[in-house]
Formats: sequence, C-alpha cells, structure tokens
Amino acid sequence: MLDVFRRVTAPVSRRMGRTRAEAEDLFDDEFQRKLETLAIVSRRVFAGNMRAERRTKKKGSGVEFADHRNYAPGDDFRYVDWNVYQRFGRLLVRLYEEEEDLSIYFIVDCSSSMAFGDNKKFDQARRLCAALAYVGLANLDRVTIVGVNDEVIARMPTTRGKGRIFKVFDFLRTLKPDGTTELRETMKTFVAQHKRRGLAVLISDLYDPAGFEGGINMLRFNKFEPYVLHIVDPRESRLTLKGNVRIYDCETGDEREVTVTPKLLERMQRAWGEYREQVERFCIARQVPYFAADVDTPFDELVLRVFRRGGFLR
Amino acid sequence: MFLAGLPLATLLTIGAAAGALVLVFYILKLRRRPVAVPFSPIWERILRDKEATTLFSQLKRILSLLLQLLLLTLMLLALGDPRLRAIVTGGRNVVVLVDASASMKATDEKPSRLDAAKAEVRKLVTGLGGSDRLLIARMDAALTPLSTMTGEIPDLQKAVDEISATDTRADLRRGLSFGLDSLRGLSKPEIIVVSDGALGDVTEAARGLDLGGVELTFVPIGKSGKNVAITEFSVRRYPLDKSRYEVMLEVTNTNAEPANVELTLLGDGEVVDLTRLALGPNERLPRFYKDLAGASRTLEARIRLADGSADALPSDDHAYALMPERRRSRVLVVTPGNTYLEAALLLDEYLDVTLIPPAKYPPSDAYDVTIFDGVAPPLAKHTGSALYLAVPEKGGPVATGKRIEMFGFDTWDKKSPIVRFTALGDIQVAHGYALKPEQGDRVIGASDLGPILVAGRRAGRKFVALGFDPRESDFVLRVAWPLFVLNTINDFVEEDTGYVSSFRTGDVWQIPAPSAAEIATLEDPSGHKRRVPVKEGRAVYLGDQAGFYKLSVEGEPEPFTTMFAANLADLEESRIEPKRELSLAGKTAIAPAGFTPGVRRELWLYLLGAVLIVSVLEWVTYHRRITV
Repeated sequence: MLDVFRRVTAPVSRRMGRTRAEAEDLFDDEFQRKLETLAIVSRRVFAGNMRAERRTKKKGSGVEFADHRNYAPGDDFRYVDWNVYQRFGRLLVRLYEEEEDLSIYFIVDCSSSMAFGDNKKFDQARRLCAALAYVGLANLDRVTIVGVNDEVIARMPTTRGKGRIFKVFDFLRTLKPDGTTELRETMKTFVAQHKRRGLAVLISDLYDPAGFEGGINMLRFNKFEPYVLHIVDPRESRLTLKGNVRIYDCETGDEREVTVTPKLLERMQRAWGEYREQVERFCIARQVPYFAADVDTPFDELVLRVFRRGGFLR
Repeated sequence: MFLAGLPLATLLTIGAAAGALVLVFYILKLRRRPVAVPFSPIWERILRDKEATTLFSQLKRILSLLLQLLLLTLMLLALGDPRLRAIVTGGRNVVVLVDASASMKATDEKPSRLDAAKAEVRKLVTGLGGSDRLLIARMDAALTPLSTMTGEIPDLQKAVDEISATDTRADLRRGLSFGLDSLRGLSKPEIIVVSDGALGDVTEAARGLDLGGVELTFVPIGKSGKNVAITEFSVRRYPLDKSRYEVMLEVTNTNAEPANVELTLLGDGEVVDLTRLALGPNERLPRFYKDLAGASRTLEARIRLADGSADALPSDDHAYALMPERRRSRVLVVTPGNTYLEAALLLDEYLDVTLIPPAKYPPSDAYDVTIFDGVAPPLAKHTGSALYLAVPEKGGPVATGKRIEMFGFDTWDKKSPIVRFTALGDIQVAHGYALKPEQGDRVIGASDLGPILVAGRRAGRKFVALGFDPRESDFVLRVAWPLFVLNTINDFVEEDTGYVSSFRTGDVWQIPAPSAAEIATLEDPSGHKRRVPVKEGRAVYLGDQAGFYKLSVEGEPEPFTTMFAANLADLEESRIEPKRELSLAGKTAIAPAGFTPGVRRELWLYLLGAVLIVSVLEWVTYHRRITV
C-alpha cells in the first residue's frame, strides 16, 4: 500500500524536489530591492508608531507613565509621587510601562500540501515570510522562524537587525515541503520551546485534517499573539477533472473513488470557499488578525496589504 | 428472415469471442485513474451528500458496457446480412447481355457505343432494388459472364468496368440460351439486351428458343451508321512463281449514300498502291491486284473517306494478310529413275531436289519431303512427309488390295489442296492396286474399283499414297501431273498457293503447329501473350482481335515460329446502322422499367448506420466523461 502511495504521489514529490538554483531565485536581487522598498513604505504607513521598542502591559522601568498604586513597603522611593503626596497626603508610587523588544515568530507550514500545485504556495509562503521578517529585522525586532509539518522540523535562532536577512534567506532555502499537517501538536511543541511570548505569524494553507483551530488556539492560550497568513491557491477549487477517478490526499494518502461531474466540481468550489470563510470567521471571532494570501498576487503587494490591514506591527 | 452473409454459428462464435474481449476491456477500463488532491476532507464533505447518487453513477457505467455490447451486436448482425425471406423471393432476376461486338466500337456515340452501353448498364445497376439480383454477361462471339447473379452493386460495377469490345460479331442465340438457362426456376426473370441492334438474323437466333415467362427488354445504343468497310482481303503467291503474288479485296459501302474512298495497300508498312474508289449506295466493290512483286511478308489494306472525314467504325477500315513464307523446300526423291517426276520437280525453282537410288535410303541429311517411287522402305524420322507413287504391297503406309486394271479417277475430293487446279476425270490407268485406307485416312481419289489416292498421317507425319505407277497411265502427260506433285509438296510444307484468307475473328482458329507440341505461345496484335493448346498439330484459339498474330512453340528439335493475320471481314458487323427495337419470336422487346435509383432494402446498410450512430454516442459519452 505504501509503495502504491509513493508511486501515485511521485509527480508531487518530483515537483517538490526542485533544484537549488530554482530555490535561490526566490530571493534574487529584484526580491531584495523590493524588500528595501517595503521597509521604507512600512515606516511611512505607520508614521512614527514604528519604533524599535514595544510597549508591553508589563509595568516596569520604562519612560512612559502608566498608572499609580499605593505604596507598599519595599518599593523604590524614587518612584514615589511626591506631588500627589503633597496635594492629597497619600503615598502613591508612579508606575511606568515597561519597554521590551518585540519577538516575532514566523511559523512556516512545510507540509506536502504546500507543494501542491507546482510549489506555488510554498514559494509564496517563503517570500512573504522573508519580506515580513525583513521589515521586522529593520525595526530591530527579534525575529525567529520555524518550519513545521507534523512537528517542528527546523528553527532559525532568534536574530535582529536587517543585516541578518541573508541568514533568513539561507534558512528558508533549506526548508522542503514534506509530511502531514498537525498544527495543534506542532504549536504545542512550539509554545513549549519559546517561552518569550510575542507575535506568532502562522503562514500556512491550514489544511489540517485534525482542524486548523487547535493550532491557533494553542498559540492564543499560551499568550502568543497569533497572526494568520492563509496561503490560498484558487486553482485548488477550480479543478478540471471529469469522469471516474480515484482521488487521494497528497499528505495522508487517503483514497476515495469519485465520479466527477460538473455539478460536483461546482460543489467542490463552493466547499473550498466555505472552508476559507470558516477560517476567516474563526479568526475574526477571536480577534486573530487574518489575511488570505493568494499565490497569484505578487508578494510585495500582499505585504503592503498586510501593513494596511494592521495588526502585524503595532 | 434469414442470414445471407456469415452463418449464425460463425456469428455466435465471433460474438462470444468479441463479447468476452469487450468485457475484459470494460473491466480494465473500470480501473480509475488516480488524482492527487491537496486536502481530502473537503471532498469528504461534499461526497457525503453524493452517496445518494452512486447508484445512478454505476448505472451510467453499465450504460457504457451496454453501448459497446450493442455496437458489437449490430456489427455482427450486419456481417450476417439479414434479409427478409419474403423480399428475397419476390425480387427480380435479371440477365444483362451487353453487346461487345465490333460494331459497338463505333464512335457515333462519344467516346464509343460500348461506353454508352456501359453507362446504360451502370444506370440499371444503380437502379437495382434491394431484393433484385442481376448478372452481367459480355456478348460477342463467345458469351462471357462477368458477374454472378447478385445484388452486390460493387461487384456489378466492377463487372461493368471489365466489359470491352472485340472484333467479332455478337452471338445473340448463345446469349439468349445462356440467359434462359441462368434464369430457369427464378422469380420474375428478365433478359435485357444492351446493343446497337447489329445482331445478324435475330429471327434465326431465336429459332427454337422458348422465352416462356422471361421478359425480354432492349436498350438501344447508337445514333447513326455512316460506314465503309473492307469486307474481304486475301492474298496468294503464284504456284509456279512464288516471288510474285496477287491480292483480292472487297470494299463495301454500307450506306444509302454514295461514298468516295481512298484505298491504300501497304507491304511491310510501305505503300504498295494507293487508289481512289467511287462506291455507289450499298455497293460491294471487289478489287484485284495481280502479279505483284516484292519480298513483303505482311500486307495491310486501309481505307478512308476521300473527303478526309472519319466513318463511324474505324475497326473495319483495316485488313491484314500475311504472305505464305517463301522458303526453299528440301525434297528427297528415292527412285531408280523417273523422268516425268524429275521434270515436274524442275517446274518449281524453290525446290531443292536430291535424287538417290532406293538402296541409299535413308540418307544422312534432313529433308522436308520424300517421294518414294515404287518403293517403301521404313520411313526415317528426318526425311519428313512422304509421297508414295505406286505403293508396293508391303512397307507402305496403306495396305494394297486387289490388283485392278483399266481404271481412272471416278471420284476425287475437289476441295483437297492436293488435287487443286487439276482435272482428273479423263486420266486412264493401265493397272494398279486398290488401296486400303486406315481409320482417319482420307480418300482423295478413287475409281469404281477402289481407292487409288489416299492421304493421312503416320507417326505425326503426313503421307500421300498413289495406288498406281503414273508411268502406267497418261497422268504424266497431263498438266495435272506436275500440279499434283507440287500441290502435294506444298501441302506437306504448309505452303498453300490458294488465297490466303486470313483468319476471321470470332471463329475458332486451328493454326498449324508442330504435331509433337502440346502448348504454344500466341502473341496477339496488342502484344499480349497467352498459352494455347495444340491438338493434332493445330493450335486452337478463339480469336477476337484483328491484326497480326505470332505463334511460337519452344521445344525439340528446334523452336517453331509462325505468323498469321486475322480480320473482322464481316459485312453484318460493318452494317452499323443502329436499330431502335428488337423483335424476337413475334415479340418486340420493350425498354426496361423499374430501375430507379432509390432506397435499398438491405438491412445491413441500416445496421451499419446504427453502428455509426452508436459509435458516435459511445465516443461522446466517453469523452464527456458521462459513462466513465
């Protein structure tokens, strides 16, 4: 059975096994020039909000005043607001918002389904990851990239500064789509490995047989701020099949005999759209920023849309 | 209903094998092609609802098998050629006799009458009903069926294409007999004669034939009949001067209008004589060319209208003749001495005569003719044919009977070439012997007392035996004597000094050939060679083409080759005025009816049409993925 599965999935595997030269083309000079443009544009779009620091809810030794609280023994006298004591006779301690570096985690789906359709989804995912990572690095954020399928298969150590973008490129080049998708288990591993919370950008087609919700919830419940970049290929909904066929899942190999009719294709297209809407509804309901990235749209345009949509950087 | 094509058992066998094959292919086709999808749970969602339609899907797949089996069944039925028994037995059975005689070569119909006739027959064939059957036969000197009695149009069209005209007259009697025999016992019999009407004496042709219930119809061909013809052409060498010859020919004007004709005589392709002749209406004008000299071997006469226009039948504007070959015959005379015989032999300068006494026979050299004078030694093989004078009692080719005295030739065969130009009636013989001819011998001359001149063959060689010594009669004093000797020699060496009337086309020719041969090769005027049988020294062949022929025999002791000419020379065929009606046995043949091109009632055609439709249906349903 395994042999049969390998044989029938051979075309997909062949498509996945592209040459290094082809992979390198992903991040060529043209791509890098566009990244620089994006970095400049992003500064203008966010007009001063783009800073190297990120205010957190954590109160601490920052500069920005946040609140007062009653003095408690052991507090630093330097933070006692004497003006308030002079006017109201109460000892209050000034609280400041603690400032810390933003950690951005890019979680790139490296399952087989990402290679479906001439690797377009996977290429788009890597381009978007590289572009957003560059913007993050340029803003002196801490950028981490992990590749996942049914487990965390690769991790680029946390880095910062836009000079490290080539390290990002090299890492993304090493990623190969293979295996199945298990977002929940993978995210469980991810959150366990990364104690420093931050923005978790999930770049995936979200084709998880166990359900995409588990993975996103795992991030939410562990205090990460998930951002869903849903990679979509409309061709997957516009199939040109006809007649009696045996369909099989390119990840799991699950087979099913189907008689494809135009009506069925129409329903298939509708179901695919519903699935996408389901993902979007889920994200909106949980205030998780969601963005659908079409493989046919140039990545730089997509990145700009991401900026405009907001939520990626605050 | 019955099957006219493949029998039912064969069809069932083919059907079983092909059906099994279809099933195997169908089962193989059921293996679905694998298609990868990125996320099967989406399919699972929609297929949950789809389950309800699975049965319909399976039905559609069975539809594919059913279509294929239907296709197979229709093809098998078409192969079986099913026919309704009632229709077959009710159809017409027609014999078409197509006149292919020389007159059908006339060009008043363009390009020829025969082509017009073929066009008419094609119309009949295409107008054949589905249950009708037709047989096409070519009618010339012989009758040649070109098809079977069939309703298959392609076969009949092919038969029509094969019709070609010959230089012979049409034998209507033979054609009618054939037609009646072919139609005996068949329903709705009909004979259609397609002809220009130049069929000779049709009343005589139909004499004794009972047309009975056979319908006779006639398709007239031809428009006009302007024609002049060479109706006779003969040539001969002079018996005593074979370097010279004379020609007799006859030119006929078959029209009611006078005609001026230019007659050309050619020898070996060179013009020997050119004459203008004025022919009155329907005049037959004989013409002699006497005392012609030359070494020409082939003679050809041509006529054409003096005004340069062409007549309607070019094939009778030529006539051919071949001169008897002039060659020196080697004659051996075995005699103790015979002045009269030697004197007679001196008259022909083309004889090479050798005299030997009886004791020196046989000589070592070969001879064409040997004359035994009063002796009959055993005949040596290389000494040719033999003339026996005064056949002795023993050793001769024929036995002698009683001795007879004072007799003469009371009867003789005037047609025999041996006694041609002779007057034997007043010859007186002192004494001799009556001869006893064997079976197959011919008595050339006889007295009241018995046969005295006998001819025949022994061991394949000719002999002539005279029952008395010519010196014991006044035969040697008469002109008949040298003529008898020379005629006999000429007959032995096949040199006929009579008019060489060339062979007539349409007759069965008996061409002289070596008696030992069994097969000869005959090359006709068009250069086509064919093998012909040789029987008793004669090659037998039914000639149908005018011109020069060459007969050759390869074999022992040496190859034999001879040439001869054949001519149409048939006044009836040259009278080409077309006849618009044909009356036989008191009945006038009408034009054939009921041959209208239309829908054929052959089921296999419709079955093939259904096969085509089902094939298209299967193709469409397959490629539209309806049944797969």
